[in-house]
Amino acid sequence: MRVLLATDTTSNKRQRGIPRRALHICLEIGVPIVLLAAWFISSQRSSNPFFPPLAEILNRFHELWLFDHLHSDVVPSMSNLVLGFAIAVLLGVIGGVLLALMRPIAWLADPLIHFWRAVPPVALVPIFVATLGYGNETRLVSIVVAAVFPTLIATVDGLRSVDSGLRDVGRAYNLTFSERLLVVNLPAASPMIMAGVQISLQSAFVVMIASEMMGTSTGIGAMTLLAQQSYASADMWAGILLLGTIGYAANALFEMARARILSWYFKAQKQGAAS
Amino acid sequence: MLKLSRPPRLVFGIVSVVFFLAAWEVIAWSGLLGSSVPAMFTTLSHTFEFLGQANSWAVIGETVAMALSGLLLAIVAGVALGILIGLSATVRHGSKVIVEFLKPVPPIVILPVVVLVLGPTMGMGVFLVFIGCVIPILVQTAAGVVDTDPVALDSARSFGIGKLETTLKVVLPSAMAFIGSSIRITAPIALVVAVVAGLFGGGPGLGRLLMRAASSGQQTEVFSIVLVAGMLGLLFQSISVVAERRVLHWHPSQRVEETR
Amino acid sequence: MSKASIESSSFANIQARFTNRPVRLSVEGLAKSYGSGESRVEVIEDLSFEVHAGEIACIVGPSGVGKTTLLKCLAGLHPLTAGSAAIDGRTIQGPPAEMALVFQDYSRSLMPWLTARQNIRLPLRHLKLGTTEEASRLDEALEVVGLAHAGSKYPWQLSGGMQQRVAIARALAYRPEVLVMDEPFASVDAQTRFELEDLCLQIRQDYDMTIVVVTHDIDEAVYLSDQIVVIGQKPAIVTEILPVSFPEPRSQFSTRALPAFAEARTHVLQLIQQAR
Ligand SMILES: Nc1ncnc2c1ncn2[C@@H]1O[C@H](COP(=O)(O)OP(=O)(O)OP(=O)(O)O)[C@@H](O)[C@H]1O
Ligand SMILES: [Mg+2]
Repeated sequence: MRVLLATDTTSNKRQRGIPRRALHICLEIGVPIVLLAAWFISSQRSSNPFFPPLAEILNRFHELWLFDHLHSDVVPSMSNLVLGFAIAVLLGVIGGVLLALMRPIAWLADPLIHFWRAVPPVALVPIFVATLGYGNETRLVSIVVAAVFPTLIATVDGLRSVDSGLRDVGRAYNLTFSERLLVVNLPAASPMIMAGVQISLQSAFVVMIASEMMGTSTGIGAMTLLAQQSYASADMWAGILLLGTIGYAANALFEMARARILSWYFKAQKQGAAS
Repeated sequence: MLKLSRPPRLVFGIVSVVFFLAAWEVIAWSGLLGSSVPAMFTTLSHTFEFLGQANSWAVIGETVAMALSGLLLAIVAGVALGILIGLSATVRHGSKVIVEFLKPVPPIVILPVVVLVLGPTMGMGVFLVFIGCVIPILVQTAAGVVDTDPVALDSARSFGIGKLETTLKVVLPSAMAFIGSSIRITAPIALVVAVVAGLFGGGPGLGRLLMRAASSGQQTEVFSIVLVAGMLGLLFQSISVVAERRVLHWHPSQRVEETR
Repeated sequence: MSKASIESSSFANIQARFTNRPVRLSVEGLAKSYGSGESRVEVIEDLSFEVHAGEIACIVGPSGVGKTTLLKCLAGLHPLTAGSAAIDGRTIQGPPAEMALVFQDYSRSLMPWLTARQNIRLPLRHLKLGTTEEASRLDEALEVVGLAHAGSKYPWQLSGGMQQRVAIARALAYRPEVLVMDEPFASVDAQTRFELEDLCLQIRQDYDMTIVVVTHDIDEAVYLSDQIVVIGQKPAIVTEILPVSFPEPRSQFSTRALPAFAEARTHVLQLIQQAR
């Protein structure tokens, strides 16, 4: 009786399920299109200085970014972001490994790390501007400093919470130091490290924009803020659109990479949830 | 080993802070980074002086007020929308792409337009904080609602409990852990955004003060404000962690964390 | 050296086959406590026994008595509080290179990011065996535990028993002189269990390994052992050391049917119950 009931409900679900899924997919794709269309149409005759017609925004987007300012502004911003993020992750992981290995240094560094992590990273930008000037190094250093802490802390935490069972295996079989680090501890800590790296990416992105808003005139952030300050609202919207897209794309790329690197982890979790 | 690790930790902490301050003083004296690094003692005494003025507390209060009211609005709206999204498959799928797109976009991106519309006001800061916090809270709440034990839902239904009551008595408590952790994560973000709103949007509070000090080259003031912002950040972090523990002490997720 | 009193029953009188071989593993006055100060717990008070080369010794005792703790001390993972343990007369200070350990908790002993084959290869990497030798060892180890088809599977794709067999295969591929296993067959079905027990006897034969096994299964202990070390009490001491001898080669059917087998298991059971 119970078995019969169970199969009943599943078949029921399946029967209704197919059109339902189609509906859901339609919703997922349809709603954003409808909203964009609504924006496009309703703003068509807009004379509100803050909300220019979407057509005009897209037109400015095209004129500005494809490809007039691509080389002068988009490329420098993006290369700062990528380079700063990469350096920060490298430093964060290496620093995290060192701190996890050397307890006394970790005790020394702990309070400082936690203080500097609590400082809003954008608040440091003025300090870097004052000490390093308005050059590109300032922007790069700001990004690195902001992005290094999440990865560093996640690496230390991740390495400290490696399962003692796995650690014992490494010790019992006399694995070399580098094997224990590279084949046992870092992979075991990698889910936690990657969570920190994701936050690092977000910080890097925020500080990329912030460092450009601080007294420079090149870069996407600078152009967007300048457009706002000179009431060129279509340009400003075009900048916002580009920044939003970059933020989204950077995160999406990261998540794709993470799904690859941690495929064992996600599959194992799914397996655990299923059984 | 275990016995030893307690007192030295505190000692190490003090040593590290002293070491850091000493390094700072050396850098300032040697002029290694130019004349832009103010002397440590000057800065510290300036910071104390700063904290002794009623005016500074008004400025700090403005930043905190923007952060907290934006956060509060975000909690109310985020939890309500999150429940809606979690309960209704239609809303969930309809909003999916938009939420997914907005999630990784930080509020500094829309800062220019918000400043353009609202001006360099407190309301601008609150709105920016709200935008920065609402999406993570909404996403977490919806995840918590979807995670609700279907057995608990079914039994509530079979007892003839109404939809609203089920939502309040079954769904909300079970999503509480998710909501709690999202608030713990967003509280420090709220502070950061409140500072950003002042720094780049001209809104009131520490951010604006910092910007003014920086553009007029008052390095001691700049360093003092950054120190104050850091202390405020520590305060926000620890209060949100403690608050989450307090509110959710009954929840299994808390026990797991403690045994670790 | 100083063995605890040996019951003079019929099976104990039979001269053990290994006394003319060198002592491979010796434990003398081993004591172990965890923690320090007020949180200090004394787990092992005083253990002494010897395992000769080529011998299989089973350690039995009630749950929580400290068997896993003893094995971790032997494997050099925990420092001793007092006494000593030695392999071939050399005191164990860190993990000995000639020992392989199969952990009790298989789910925490395989790396989930490595396939079964890669997990087995893990301890071989630094031995620099050369590709052909390494590959043949891996194939052989997988074959022997009946997992030749599962080498490319990840641990989380395998059942508990299969995971434990991967852990055993890892120890075998390492070709240790001393193989130490902590309840290795606890999570496999009865059929596989018999096969793995026979495998244990087989590898001792083939590779002349010395094997120490912790088990909860008294029948298993009697079937496998040349010597059973019963430990009991809190903190733990050796309750009795019991030589076991049956006509060789042993077989699941004939050996278990021997009257001496039943006699031995009854005796061990009594000892464990007294030890509680
Ligand atoms: N790392 C540790 N710190 C403190 N106490 C421990 C630790 N490991 C084990 N113990 C304690 O030592 C005692 C013996 O544990 P052990 O795991 O060695 O028992 P066991 O004989 O292997 O039990 P079982 O048969 O259930 O596996 C237990 O009381 C346990 O609580
Ligand atoms: Mg055990």
